[in-house]
Amino acid sequence: MRTPIIASTVVMTVAIGVAGFADDRYLRQGIVDLFKRAVPDRFVVALGDNFAGNAAAEEVAQATSPPEAEAQPVEQPVVDESALRYFASRGDTARLEAEISRLRTLYPSWTPPENPLAVPRNADAQLETMWQLYAEGRFSEVRRAISERQSNDPGWQPPVDLIERLNVAEARARLINASDLKQYETVIQVGARTPSLLTCSEVDVLWRVAEAFAETDRRDRARDAYLYVLKNCDDQPERLATMQKAAAVLPYATVQELLSFERTTAAGTLEFETIRDDLARRFVAEGDDDAALAVDPKYLQRIERLVETQGLASDALLLGWYQLRRNNMSAAEQWFRRARDKQDSAEASQGLALALIDRKAPQEAEQVLYPWRDASADAHATYMAAAANLLALDPPAALSADVLQRIAAETMKGRDPAAAQQFGWYARALGQHQTAVQWFSTALRWKPDDEPSAYGLALSRHQLGDRAGVAEIQRLWAGRSERIARLAETETAPQQRRLPTPTANGEQPAATMQQPAPVAVARREGVQPAYREVVPRSAVRNTTGCRTTRDPTRLSPAAALTRGWCLMDLNRPLEAAEAFEVALRATQSRMREDAAYGQSLAYLRAGLTDRAAVAATKSPQSRARVDELQTAILADRAIAAFDAGRYAETLVLLDRLGRIGSNRSDLMVLRGYAYLRLRRYAQARQIFEAVAATGNRDAARGLVDVTRAREVWPNKN
Amino acid sequence: MKWLVVFVSLLAISGSGAKAQEARAVVSEGAWTQYKARFLDPSGRIVDDSNGNISHSEGQGYGLLLAFLADNPPDFEQIWSFTRRELLLRDDGLAAWKWSPVDTPHVVDINNATDGDILIAYALALAGERWGRSDYQSAAAAIAEAILDNTVVEYGGRTLLLPGVSGFSASDRADGPIINPSYWIFEAFPVLNQVAPSPKWQVLAEEGEEMIAGLQFGPRKMPADWVSARTMLKPAAGFPAEFGYNALRIPLYLARAGNTDRELLSRLAAGMAASGGEIAVIDLADGAVNTALNDPGYEIVNHILACVLDGAKLPDTAKSFSPTQYYPSTLHLLGLSFVEEKHPECL
Repeated sequence: MRTPIIASTVVMTVAIGVAGFADDRYLRQGIVDLFKRAVPDRFVVALGDNFAGNAAAEEVAQATSPPEAEAQPVEQPVVDESALRYFASRGDTARLEAEISRLRTLYPSWTPPENPLAVPRNADAQLETMWQLYAEGRFSEVRRAISERQSNDPGWQPPVDLIERLNVAEARARLINASDLKQYETVIQVGARTPSLLTCSEVDVLWRVAEAFAETDRRDRARDAYLYVLKNCDDQPERLATMQKAAAVLPYATVQELLSFERTTAAGTLEFETIRDDLARRFVAEGDDDAALAVDPKYLQRIERLVETQGLASDALLLGWYQLRRNNMSAAEQWFRRARDKQDSAEASQGLALALIDRKAPQEAEQVLYPWRDASADAHATYMAAAANLLALDPPAALSADVLQRIAAETMKGRDPAAAQQFGWYARALGQHQTAVQWFSTALRWKPDDEPSAYGLALSRHQLGDRAGVAEIQRLWAGRSERIARLAETETAPQQRRLPTPTANGEQPAATMQQPAPVAVARREGVQPAYREVVPRSAVRNTTGCRTTRDPTRLSPAAALTRGWCLMDLNRPLEAAEAFEVALRATQSRMREDAAYGQSLAYLRAGLTDRAAVAATKSPQSRARVDELQTAILADRAIAAFDAGRYAETLVLLDRLGRIGSNRSDLMVLRGYAYLRLRRYAQARQIFEAVAATGNRDAARGLVDVTRAREVWPNKN
Repeated sequence: MKWLVVFVSLLAISGSGAKAQEARAVVSEGAWTQYKARFLDPSGRIVDDSNGNISHSEGQGYGLLLAFLADNPPDFEQIWSFTRRELLLRDDGLAAWKWSPVDTPHVVDINNATDGDILIAYALALAGERWGRSDYQSAAAAIAEAILDNTVVEYGGRTLLLPGVSGFSASDRADGPIINPSYWIFEAFPVLNQVAPSPKWQVLAEEGEEMIAGLQFGPRKMPADWVSARTMLKPAAGFPAEFGYNALRIPLYLARAGNTDRELLSRLAAGMAASGGEIAVIDLADGAVNTALNDPGYEIVNHILACVLDGAKLPDTAKSFSPTQYYPSTLHLLGLSFVEEKHPECL
């Protein structure tokens, strides 16, 4: 007689391992055939640590060759069938079948009784009670009864199969509890320790194990579990549900593999035909998110047919995004128009607007999306992109007063520096330089490091003859923009300069457009950005007179100041800092302010943040400069704190940065990582999601890192 | 030194040198029978009857410990079956703290309660040792390791026991880390050190005694239920600044672990005594008595201190057990078992 233990190891016909040990492999086909009828295959959850156990199982399996096995006489093992009688008497067919299946796994040569109700009662009344409690699912009381009897009768040992089945039943309950609570490591651990649970009679348990693998980023293991069901289990509704569950969590290619195990029903139809439309939708949707994924054209065609027959806007949208993601813009435009025709929505309008922007039709894009601009942050960003593109058209578009007014209103409301900058260029193109100055200044207030706006501002001031204003810009941007620095060197005849537009690398004639009226509308009260007077500068820097090294202490403060800026232009910040130090002795407060500002910039550029912070305090600064310096200093400190592992401090510094209005996306990403390191996952995720929505790749990576971290500590919030 | 005393006294319970004591139930059969008839559901859960009949990891831990002290393996087995199947579900190996009979799923908060985990592991370790159950021993070791890995933290130079994995740490709260000094179940630490050896247990015990001696809030100089360890130890914001239902276990645990610090025990005894012999829930800010608890299960804490400090005999109300509510009745049996075992002269 084959012992139950050997038998149950031999029948591990499907050993689906982890850690690369076994990829979907059957053991010898002969063994499969031999035991197929008597023993259902089991899906074996093997963890890395169980590697050796698996190998041993395979050895046992291989050592038992089919002919030998066949030669052995099959004897009926002694199996206590009491529980079957109880299940049957309660009419609990599901558990009756599960129990029979489990018993077959435990005792391969056992034959289930034809009539479970006829199973004779145990002569041992206490044991009979235990089986009854077991059949009623009162496991704690079975444990108690066993222990009680052992206390009273120290020689008594409980039947092995009672203990085995109690263990399995308790493990099953625990696995389901853990699964309901998303404690996926526990689910996998219990499943791995209780292979007899993982049979076709417990498809729900198999699903839960698969889900646990999928939710902990072990999709290949999840695939194994679903594949096991499709290969081995016959219940039609369960097979269909398995396919649906697998398609919800597994990637396209894997689902295709699973689909290859589709069977033909008795009626001659394919068994998954009823869910084929939803599968197609699911695949195309994955293609919407992943431009590199080539979805089989048959699925696309299926959705196209659905648009015709069912007329759902959501199906047209799926196709629109799929094509947009692959830069098939005219196809995308067509599908988004179809979707809008069926039912206008923010999503359809946004998709259409993106396609329109791409084919240089921002006027319609703006118009299409305007009613939906507040539907989501994404829609608003797309609207502002359409608006900025519209303003940037070359030659400038003739825009109605209404359109200009509403774009200006949205720009101010959303504090959108890109659109403000484009308003600047648009005004310049129409010869309205004073308006351009206001819009560029506004853009810079919202985004102080926006070089094109600074350049536009310098150009416009130049054109208006505001030399001091130009010098101010040049000082602020010293060392950061060559074109701004060079602007002052060619002071002659600004009227003849050709003015750049944001869309062209080259330049275009200035003041040729004859459309002053629309912009004038945009300048009305409440729309017009507040213009802040910039204090005129006193001197234009000499950028060539500092190449020779000299001791600045002998210079006059004014000469030292000039030399400081000059050295900054040559990117010699430490020497520049010395020169500014001398300039700090000046008696005029204006010069001391410049010197302190210059010295802060110099130290910042040299990476000496603390010194920069000290230098910034050496003279009162204008609000704009204070903000600029503070932003740079705090950002440097935040990064340094992060690098040193002081994450809480990083957050404090970023909070201070937030208070002075700086929301650079790189610093928001830094904030996300600080939260991540502090295991404040929800907040990290929130930040990364917000920044990733703007297309920021670092933030997208951050999101992945959050997911990965939560994998290690799945439970922390 | 105290560590050694505790350690030796525990060996006396479970060690091989005390065979005569092994079979002795220090919770009497009669008391235990009454307790379980009232609070132990056949499913193996201890029912907190004054809390909507929920169950929790703390109750399961107390139930296991009392079943051990009553020397009753069948009851222990019954409670453990439920505890493992219904609460010991967390990925990190700790128990979910809260189980509700009317909700689905029954676990309504997956967070742990560290005192519950300590009690469960402690009872398993004791039972595994006495009854030769290696499965209990290995379950105890796994929980003890999870406690070390997930709830024992260093902060501000202190070794602390977080009351739960989520919600109490320095990054979770502005005044975090928050601790609950009544979660230091001193008698458990040396036992857990046997199943999951780590120097941290001893550090927890030594620093914990020192910390508790230093918790002297308000005019009555009493510990608070919930304490912020952000900077100086002080009553935690967001919790009542009280010596309350949690903290009244502190003297019980100190006594059970063999602590003989007269100054500390006398101060606690005086501080929590209400005028009529009840136990006082105290507003720490002004020392006022918020509630006077007259359940014999609470009152026994003071009688135990009187016994330990002055050899005073327990009054009859404390000596006899009759179940009232889950929490005081549990404390009552823990107190009685201590006197029965260590101070029979007070009976």
